[in-house]
Amino acid sequence: MRQLIWKEWHEQSWRLGFGCLVLGAMALIGLHARILNDNAMMMWVCFIGITLLPVLSITGLLPAERNEGTFESLLALPVAPWKILAAKTVMGLVLCAGPMVAAAVISLLAAGGREMLDQDILHLYADSTLSAISLLLWMMALTSRLPSEARAGLLASGILILWILATAGLAYPSVPPLARAISPLVFVYQFSGDHMGPLLPEWVNLLVAAVIAIVLWVWTAKRLTGAVEGES
Amino acid sequence: MSEQPVIEMQGVRKAFGKKLVLQGVDLSVPSGQTFAILGRNGAGKTTTIRMLLGLLKPDQGHVRVLGLDPKTEPLEIRRRVGYVAEDQAMFGWMRVGQLLSFIAPFYPTWDAAWARELSDRFELPLKTRVRHLSKGQGVRVALLLALAHRPELVILDDPTLGLDPIMRKEFLRDLVSHLQGERVSVFFSSHLLYEIEPVADSVVILDHGRVVRQAATEDLRAQVKRLVTAAESEEILRGLPGVLDVSRNGRQATAVVQDIAAARPALAAAGIIVEELDLNLDEIFEAYVIGRKERPDATAHLERVA
Repeated sequence: MRQLIWKEWHEQSWRLGFGCLVLGAMALIGLHARILNDNAMMMWVCFIGITLLPVLSITGLLPAERNEGTFESLLALPVAPWKILAAKTVMGLVLCAGPMVAAAVISLLAAGGREMLDQDILHLYADSTLSAISLLLWMMALTSRLPSEARAGLLASGILILWILATAGLAYPSVPPLARAISPLVFVYQFSGDHMGPLLPEWVNLLVAAVIAIVLWVWTAKRLTGAVEGES
Repeated sequence: MSEQPVIEMQGVRKAFGKKLVLQGVDLSVPSGQTFAILGRNGAGKTTTIRMLLGLLKPDQGHVRVLGLDPKTEPLEIRRRVGYVAEDQAMFGWMRVGQLLSFIAPFYPTWDAAWARELSDRFELPLKTRVRHLSKGQGVRVALLLALAHRPELVILDDPTLGLDPIMRKEFLRDLVSHLQGERVSVFFSSHLLYEIEPVADSVVILDHGRVVRQAATEDLRAQVKRLVTAAESEEILRGLPGVLDVSRNGRQATAVVQDIAAARPALAAAGIIVEELDLNLDEIFEAYVIGRKERPDATAHLERVA
């Protein structure tokens, strides 16, 4: 498992650097220039993070290896496929959380207590990170058998857009709160509840997201060794 | 010899969607042999190999590798088997030394001294990135990775694909010289038959997902013969038992029979004089996979012999 994480780190660290650079620079420049108020600026940073990071991560984790043919070499080693997926998931979590943490630290240093309380800033970034991770797991499950990064990127973008539309649909007041909890973007609304109808308590949303994440992960692990799309 | 076969397949069927890739494959590979699986592209060789490693599950039938079931014990099989995939892709950013360090911990039986010895013998540049290796060096790295944990069985899926003839000869020389005396069983897939012929103890010919012949290479050479006779006797040749291919060339008719001993009484009864010619593995293979198409009725006899 340690070697697998070492390999993933070497292959993906540039994506982490890229994500940190984009979000960090956006937070720093935006909060320094004060084009928008702090809350709106940080919301934009989080929105970019939620849309960019899962797609950036997912294309490099499984489809890139399928594309290069190295995934077959990994599967042929005496290591359980779930361990390969676990190493990739750990790296995916780092790729989603790392830039968000960097942006949160920069936001706290640049604008902490200026217009927003520190704890509200942290809450905003934490919820956005959870949304990014939830989206990552959806994308990982649905792109795991795709043999190219381009197709995975396209499908991942489609999943993202569909969830944004679905979440907007779930915001109607007549939709029960439990239905809203299934959206990976439910965390985005937690700190501004008036954009969506009534929400369940935060811990229930977390619990629902955790159950969905486990189901998606186990499903992905089971599909990992099957035939790649297009293979005969 | 009652030693357990290293590979056993019984009635194995596999389909991808509607495409039937293996159609009831029966196979038995004795221990300590170099065993070649021959077939054209799409015959089912790679599917068979992936099944042996537990990378694919059969839809029907039973598979045993080193006495283990790949469905339930794939990791134990992969620990004890060395595998070189067809056109094997490795992690291009790693240096060769890093690649060895990355792979070694997965194998409890990894022999670091043996790996060093092999890398010296193969003249591998340990500090070069894998993506900068030549094709020949890449195949040698793959072979080193397959041998360094001292496997009981080595499975090679068309490992010389894409190599030039000199490199292919060098690869086979390396393989044979390093496995001789080690009593390692080798399961070797290829469609370059003239290369396999000198190293294979036994062969199985796979065509469209079916085993059409399994035999010791020597038996195959001794049994499968080309018969040449006068053109007027063409019809007699067509009626021989186990005839694979009949053709006419000017005043001569030729046939390939899969068991000369079975054909001789029929020839004697017909009273015709034939010249018996030896065939190399390439010609035998061609007779089985091309001649058989022209004479589908030969299948029943082929299966009885197999």
